[in-house]
Amino acid sequence: MVVFTFLDWFWLLSFLVLMTLCGVLFYRLGKRSESDFFLAGRGLPWWLPASSVFATHTATDSPMWISGVIYRYGMTGIWYAFFAAWCATSAFISTRIFRRSLAYSQAEWQTLRFSGLGAELLRGWMAGWQIFMQMFIMGWVGMAMGKVCNYAFGWDQWVGMVLFSSVSAIYALASGYWGVVMADFQQGVIAGIAIVIVSVWGVVVANGPAGIIRRLTEMDQLWRINPFAFSGFFTGDFPAAWFLTMVVIALLGGFGMGTTIDWYTEAQRIQSARTVRDAAYGIWSGTLLILVTNSLWAVAALAFFVLFPNIPDTSEYEMAWYRIGFDYLPPGMIGFFFAAIVAIHLSTIASSLNLGALYLTRDLYHRYVRPEASQSRLVWVGRLSTLVLLLGSFVYGSMMQEITRWLIFAIWIMAAGVWLPNILQVIWWRFNSWGYLASWIANLGLSWLVVWVLPAFGILPVLPDYVQFWLLLVLGLAIYIPVTLLTAPDELHHLVRYYVQSRPIGFWGPVRKEAERLGLLRLIQVEP
Amino acid sequence: MVFRRKWTAHEADEWTKEDYWAVVFSSLSYLLVTIGSALCFLLPVWGILLTGAGLVCAGVMYWIIDPKLRTISLEYEARQKEYLKELDRIMSWEER
Repeated sequence: MVVFTFLDWFWLLSFLVLMTLCGVLFYRLGKRSESDFFLAGRGLPWWLPASSVFATHTATDSPMWISGVIYRYGMTGIWYAFFAAWCATSAFISTRIFRRSLAYSQAEWQTLRFSGLGAELLRGWMAGWQIFMQMFIMGWVGMAMGKVCNYAFGWDQWVGMVLFSSVSAIYALASGYWGVVMADFQQGVIAGIAIVIVSVWGVVVANGPAGIIRRLTEMDQLWRINPFAFSGFFTGDFPAAWFLTMVVIALLGGFGMGTTIDWYTEAQRIQSARTVRDAAYGIWSGTLLILVTNSLWAVAALAFFVLFPNIPDTSEYEMAWYRIGFDYLPPGMIGFFFAAIVAIHLSTIASSLNLGALYLTRDLYHRYVRPEASQSRLVWVGRLSTLVLLLGSFVYGSMMQEITRWLIFAIWIMAAGVWLPNILQVIWWRFNSWGYLASWIANLGLSWLVVWVLPAFGILPVLPDYVQFWLLLVLGLAIYIPVTLLTAPDELHHLVRYYVQSRPIGFWGPVRKEAERLGLLRLIQVEP
Repeated sequence: MVFRRKWTAHEADEWTKEDYWAVVFSSLSYLLVTIGSALCFLLPVWGILLTGAGLVCAGVMYWIIDPKLRTISLEYEARQKEYLKELDRIMSWEER
């Protein structure tokens, strides 16, 4: 149990007031229009989306699952977090295409890219899916916060989740994305400083770099500092085949949209940037900060391993970074550390609240319920949606127990069968809405079958996750390619409009020819 | 010059080798900085070298892609509204 001194309370309360106030101050900007409430009027310079990307994806569960894989696999485990590298490609490919589409959300993009009933079904489906996913994400991040509060103060887990998620809702409700992105900047700075201090502190406690190396050598565990110490090519817990699969998923995934669950959050930041260039640099540099942060957490987890090498229980060693902070920082600094944890938590929750509300408001209410709604009404619906999302997250949070297991399932499996379709929809004109819809439906069924149901009945062995990925990819392919080719292509003029506006990469020959025939490409050739 | 430094709006709209090389250097940069920043606290010499190499890759990436991104952004953002209006007019005429 952690005991707060006066200085600790001072840090915590000051930061809480500062962070909440900073968000609420943008109330007037947020309420101007739907575009302001959800995209900050598409006018942000690159460093604001960048800090928002960093703050949002630096969540309370992140140091837990990174500590978990590092404690178990040594530095090789850092590659679990390297999924974020999809932004290396996306920043210069799919970010550019998506920003030019001017879609508010990935669901809206579906109706720009595809046409007819299939496109509308996709938009509704994706909006519903994202509303669920944002509640799910907030649920697991909220549970992580509950777990931290339980460790530090002995509170029941639901208390930490409900209390701090509700604080973030104050400015998400008042100012929408303006509040989120401004608070993210401040929270990103606080969190970044704390992550550096605590991780370096962990290294110091373990007697510095030399001390860690010496101790690992004594334990015959020096392989743990090698990021490429795989257990074999196909064999063992952490084979090189897993690493190669992850690199392919990440780097090729950047050509597509939605190839990771993080895309949907990034899409909002991309559209909120004032230019294509700002969007590209915002995504790229925010992700670079995430990768550096992951490395710092990894080092802290390794220092923790040196201090406590034989912990068998996952839920105990995944608290490594938090334990270094709470157990070793001097009195007066623990309050700052906890304030930083709160900052990390608030930024993630506020972003998910606003993003989920975007899908509910823009893609369901505005599109299908009341297309003629006034801007002021849309902002109020946005606020109501934010509240619904918050309550939903509490329900999901109360249903999750082991964070790492859920997260790895979500990252690997829920995206496996739609990974390739998410690329095809960007690069291949013939891939139509029915094919894409089929891939989603097939994946939902297949992923549960391959991962849980068939192994439970002994029909299929329990496969390593990277094998599950390739298996799901092939099984899905056998369904959505025939569906695509057996159904009509999307309406040509609709594709032309999309092509001329977004200028996608890949195989768009017939569409480009038609655009040239209509003289549409010349429209943007006029010199300034 | 291996990479173009001056672009017209029309040329910048096309996908060219600059885009692909930017992706290559961007990926290398991420990889090197990830490993390097961790090793800075374990094997400092290697860590600093790898992080430095990662930052050099980021600089090369910026040098390659920035002129093109600037051109796309200036042209597209300036004409965004006007362009969409015109596009809608032409497409609705085609549909009729």
